[in-house]
Amino acid sequence: MQDFLNFLVLGLTRGSMYALIALGYTLVYGVLQLINFAHSEVFMSGAFGSYLVVNLVAGDTFLPWYGVIGVLLLGMVSGGIVGAIVAYGLERVAYRPLRRRGAPKLAFLISAIGMSFFLSQLAGKMFNRQKNNFFPEYFDANKRIIEVNGVHVTLLQVIIIGSALAMMLFLDQLVSQTKLGRSIRGVAEDAPTAALMGIDIDRTIARTFIIGGALGGAAGFLFGTAFGFFNTMGFIPGVKAFAAAVLGGIGNIRGAMLGGLLLGVVEALVPSAPWGTSQSWIGLQWTDVVAFVVLVLVLVFRPSGILGERLGRAA
Amino acid sequence: MTATAPQTGARTTGEVVYDVKDVTLRFGGVTSLNNVSLQMRRGEILAVIGPNGAGKTSLFNSLTGVYTPQEGTITLAAREGDEMTSVLGRKTHVINHMGVARTFQNIRLFPALTALENVKVGVETRQKSGPISAMLGMPWQRREERESTARAYELLRFVGLTPRANELAGSLAYGEQRRLEIARALGTEPGVILLDEPAAGTNPVEKQELAALIRKINVEDNISVLLIEHDMKLVMSVAHRLVVLNFGEKIAEGTPEQIQRDPAVIAAYLGTSEDEATAMTEGLEVQAIDVQQSALDEPGPGTRTRTDPETNTRGEGEHR
Amino acid sequence: MKRESELSVQLKRLGGCLALGFVLALMVGKHEGSQRDYGFAFRQAVFAPRIFVFLGIGVLIYLLIIFWPRVTPYLQRPGVRPLAAGALTVVAADALLRWTDSGQIEGGKLGAMSKAAADTGSLDFLTRAFFGSIVPGTPWILLAVVALLAAAAIVLDRGTLAWSAAALAVLVGLWGFYAQASVRSFLGAPDHSTGALASLLGYLTIACSAVVVARSDAEHADTRGFVDRLFSWRPGLPLVVLGFVTGLISLLVATWFSPSNAVDKVYDLGSRFAGSGVSALTTAYVSWLVYALFVACVAVAGAATYLRHKALGWVAIVLGTVSVILTLVVLHDFTAVAAAAGFDGASKPWKNLGVGGWLLCASFTMLAGAGWIAATHKRADDVVAADLVAGDSDHLATTSANFNKVLLFVVIAGALFYPPMATPFWQSVLVSQIGIYVLLAIGLNVVVGWAGLLDLGFIAFYAIGSYTTAYLVGALPVKPPEWLILPPLAAIPFAIVICLLAGVTLGAPTLRLRGDYLAIVTLGFGEIIRIAANNNPHGFTNGPRGAINIPHPSIDLGFFKFQWGLEALPYWYLLLVLICVIVLLFTRLENSRLGRSWAAIREDEVAAQATGINTTRVKLLAFAIGASTSGVAGVFFASQVGVISPDNFLLNNSILVVAYVVFGGMGSLPGAMAGAAVLTWLPEFLKDQVPAEDRQMWIGAVILLMMIFRPAGLIPAKRRKAELSGLEKPASAETTAVPAGEGM
Repeated sequence: MQDFLNFLVLGLTRGSMYALIALGYTLVYGVLQLINFAHSEVFMSGAFGSYLVVNLVAGDTFLPWYGVIGVLLLGMVSGGIVGAIVAYGLERVAYRPLRRRGAPKLAFLISAIGMSFFLSQLAGKMFNRQKNNFFPEYFDANKRIIEVNGVHVTLLQVIIIGSALAMMLFLDQLVSQTKLGRSIRGVAEDAPTAALMGIDIDRTIARTFIIGGALGGAAGFLFGTAFGFFNTMGFIPGVKAFAAAVLGGIGNIRGAMLGGLLLGVVEALVPSAPWGTSQSWIGLQWTDVVAFVVLVLVLVFRPSGILGERLGRAA
Repeated sequence: MTATAPQTGARTTGEVVYDVKDVTLRFGGVTSLNNVSLQMRRGEILAVIGPNGAGKTSLFNSLTGVYTPQEGTITLAAREGDEMTSVLGRKTHVINHMGVARTFQNIRLFPALTALENVKVGVETRQKSGPISAMLGMPWQRREERESTARAYELLRFVGLTPRANELAGSLAYGEQRRLEIARALGTEPGVILLDEPAAGTNPVEKQELAALIRKINVEDNISVLLIEHDMKLVMSVAHRLVVLNFGEKIAEGTPEQIQRDPAVIAAYLGTSEDEATAMTEGLEVQAIDVQQSALDEPGPGTRTRTDPETNTRGEGEHR
Repeated sequence: MKRESELSVQLKRLGGCLALGFVLALMVGKHEGSQRDYGFAFRQAVFAPRIFVFLGIGVLIYLLIIFWPRVTPYLQRPGVRPLAAGALTVVAADALLRWTDSGQIEGGKLGAMSKAAADTGSLDFLTRAFFGSIVPGTPWILLAVVALLAAAAIVLDRGTLAWSAAALAVLVGLWGFYAQASVRSFLGAPDHSTGALASLLGYLTIACSAVVVARSDAEHADTRGFVDRLFSWRPGLPLVVLGFVTGLISLLVATWFSPSNAVDKVYDLGSRFAGSGVSALTTAYVSWLVYALFVACVAVAGAATYLRHKALGWVAIVLGTVSVILTLVVLHDFTAVAAAAGFDGASKPWKNLGVGGWLLCASFTMLAGAGWIAATHKRADDVVAADLVAGDSDHLATTSANFNKVLLFVVIAGALFYPPMATPFWQSVLVSQIGIYVLLAIGLNVVVGWAGLLDLGFIAFYAIGSYTTAYLVGALPVKPPEWLILPPLAAIPFAIVICLLAGVTLGAPTLRLRGDYLAIVTLGFGEIIRIAANNNPHGFTNGPRGAINIPHPSIDLGFFKFQWGLEALPYWYLLLVLICVIVLLFTRLENSRLGRSWAAIREDEVAAQATGINTTRVKLLAFAIGASTSGVAGVFFASQVGVISPDNFLLNNSILVVAYVVFGGMGSLPGAMAGAAVLTWLPEFLKDQVPAEDRQMWIGAVILLMMIFRPAGLIPAKRRKAELSGLEKPASAETTAVPAGEGM
């Protein structure tokens, strides 16, 4: 039981990360009906950007508790800003020209893939291509905050889950309450009509990219703090987050959150079952297979994801 | 086209083609068809009319297997000598193979194929040769290919599109696209053809051509025609019988003369929108009145808020 | 919507251009980040005088955009396009291509060669002068002078100026070619470099443009009209000219035989092999027959083309084919004799050949092609009759059909006779990169291009094909029953069947999903296959180490035996046969009822259903047929490299294959092949141009640019054009804001 709960916490941590990235996919899908394949690179640039800023400001020292909070905020904000800038550039370069030309959908996908290669390799060239970059240790990330009966939650896990939940809540409110959110929903529902109602579609799309990019960039910082960062770090979480977005119903914000959490939990729990014994039934090396099999099963029974698609309807 | 009363189709018999019994179709809480029954007889031109949102397209989609009604039965014997078979729960393409072809309200051609290829797609759904014989260029496959080309040219001539055979369907004029869609439907050798607002957006001359074409299909090919149309002039001039739907219910059925005098029908039309009432009245009075282009039936503001399966069909198709 | 002021538009544009310059500054250069000091490379790239160069480039681009409307009228003048093409070719040749393969010159490009050659006293004066012994950078100065002269001729429209530009261009081109040739003979080794040749071609193009200027009275260029007239006048003429030129190069300058240090031209062969036991045919061939054959071929093909004479056309075909066969026999004969006699380190039959023999074969092929065009050409009266039936748009169609025929024969000649001319490195690239991925792209094109289903896990079928082969030849830990162990080529049908089944298994539950859902499910499938192979269930796949010792393919038909080995070249011809067969089958399929059904479901699935198409079946067929193609590729791959492991089948490769197909032109078979060929060739080409780690970045940029400026791909599909030509959608911003959700 205690192992089960530990794995559950692990899954929730991973899942909230997936959910944050998945929001970027789902937002863009909502307004454009396109998979933004380069979103994983937005995530990566968030990690590098926040590293540069945090390292410049805080340096390589151990910080008191208020310092930690400051660094975390700084990291998330700077990661979010860098992510937003990259996402905006991405929209201007890889999407808008194609939209103007009325290109087929696959052309968008391929231009995004081209952009993804470009960005990840440019980052590799600018920084390095090693896979072992870490943030300086500002605090004891593995400090156990809660410990009941062998079930423990570390500081880092609390930070990740907490800030991810906060950001998701913020986004949910943004989309359902504000004017910007209304125009996003309008474009998602019916772009030509929204245009007739006086919504500037290009601007709305750009802002959607910026919001998604900011969330992705902040997630990049969190991921970097937890697991380290490198130029191709976006690929695997990107694929997973994309799967999570589809799982929840792509284009649906709450679906993406749910899908991300669910995928993370499933990945942590299923391959390690039965928890606690040394021999698991499935084995951790099958984690990705389990994730995809679950995805396929869900899609076979609910062809448009758990919560169904449509950004407008759900939020 | 003269505005005489519609002639009876060449070989109208009493035999039933489509038998719709007590059909009810709901989307969530909205009842789109309520206890609708109608019978279509072999060789007739049956028109389904009604204000927007009356459930006409829902009826079409139920007949062709796009939707499955919750209650009631629909049976079909499209071609002469067929047994009456239920269509409920069958896939669209199976129903098509049973002899039902249709066109769409908002034209759905294959725009990147040529006009000829569009028709060939229809013709070839009745052919047998598979991928391997195609890859190896077997004699029977070549023969089928020749046959389908010949048949497609024949159909293009039938609808008057021979000169445009090799142009992309997307580049044809609106009225031409309408006719091409009919040719594609005819290519599947149907016993029944369902035309969903074929005159929408066409000009008066094109309407006349269309009416002639519908009659020709009916008389020359002996195909039963089920027609949804807003243009009363067209409906009254070609249809043998009419069924009137309103709010998902059948409110009247009969010959054009009977319908024109039916108070319930007039009430239904006056109750909806100005435009349609005018259109209806134009149809009701003398059919020889030179209609100003009235057929661009934009739904009135009052009907827009209703869940209207007609305007939603495309969306459903995309987002499912 | 607000109308933005002119100023802010210009400012935005300028900002965009400067940003472009900034990004270019980051992209270009050797700097590489380090773990110690993040941002070091960034600062090096940005905080240095070089940034001003790149920002300057940005400003130049901005100015170009601003003044573009003023420039365009000049671009319509005759001769501008060939001038631009020629100048770009020369720039590419001088800056990017190798001028020698010799290891004595680092990198082998013009710059390095110039440095080395200018100071080498034993070279003659002309050569050294070209490489800059008098003025450094002579090649570039020459190019600038020639291009400016030609441009001046165009702008001022002066005949004399144009003629002198043409003459100068020819002279400079030949000068460069001569200089490279003398360095080459000085260095002594056989050489495969293309730089000098490309530069010569570029200069000749410039000369052509100047001639066009001199001869043309027209205000506006009608290049397309000219090409049209040329192709409808004598469709085979370009082939005759090409064949003649390559033949001349082969006979006059190309090396035919070069064991170690010798560089024998065809006219040297007679004396070298006199009395060494070569057959009478070879003796005759090298002394007179080759010239006779060449003259005869050119004469007959030329006459057939000019007179449009069918019988003569057939004669040209026969003559060309016989000449190719004779040339091949002679090549084999004298290399075999040389190997037996141990001439100067000659090793094996077919070895130590220069490019000469192969060039001549290519020339004969093209001449035969000209004959074929003449032989199958429709008479003028036939054409008129056909026009009456098919409508007026057919005239243009015949022109482009003629062009395609010419291109087809050039491609055939290149595919058959270019690989033996290439270096072993390029031969292996051709086989294990270009060829394989062309095959995969052909398969994926069925799924993505024709049926419109986005498959991001295509490489899984390739893996299944490879592992099936490994199993059937007994290279996996789990062996098949003794009677089932097969030679690799015999595994092809089994691999096809297994991949068909795998395609159906994947497709059956998932094909009712719409585009993007299908994408992630197929992606997952690809990953599942790879992880499964890696995790080694039941010891079947041998885990990360994969299968080893898969035998090379062999053929034994009794009268004909062949065993493939480690060399890449023989595999190329095997691959060529496979690709040709598959392309032939698929072309038929595309124009069959199934091909049209695919197009129909891609365009509008609902309408396709209502027209009676069983969409599930048709989609499954697309999946299965695409999968079986990559199964064939898998067999080939496994038996060529002999060792496979899960690392060969990464998700990245799946994504790349999709990129190849779309880059080339979705739904167009030649497009998909061209896309795969270009994008697999590019990284190898870039090896010489940029730091090796940066190649993927440049490829990403190329893909991006292609999609921005030409979203339909290199060679757009005929059937896809409608989507892009804006037939349905008005071009206003509102309606194009969100692409219609059809198809993918």
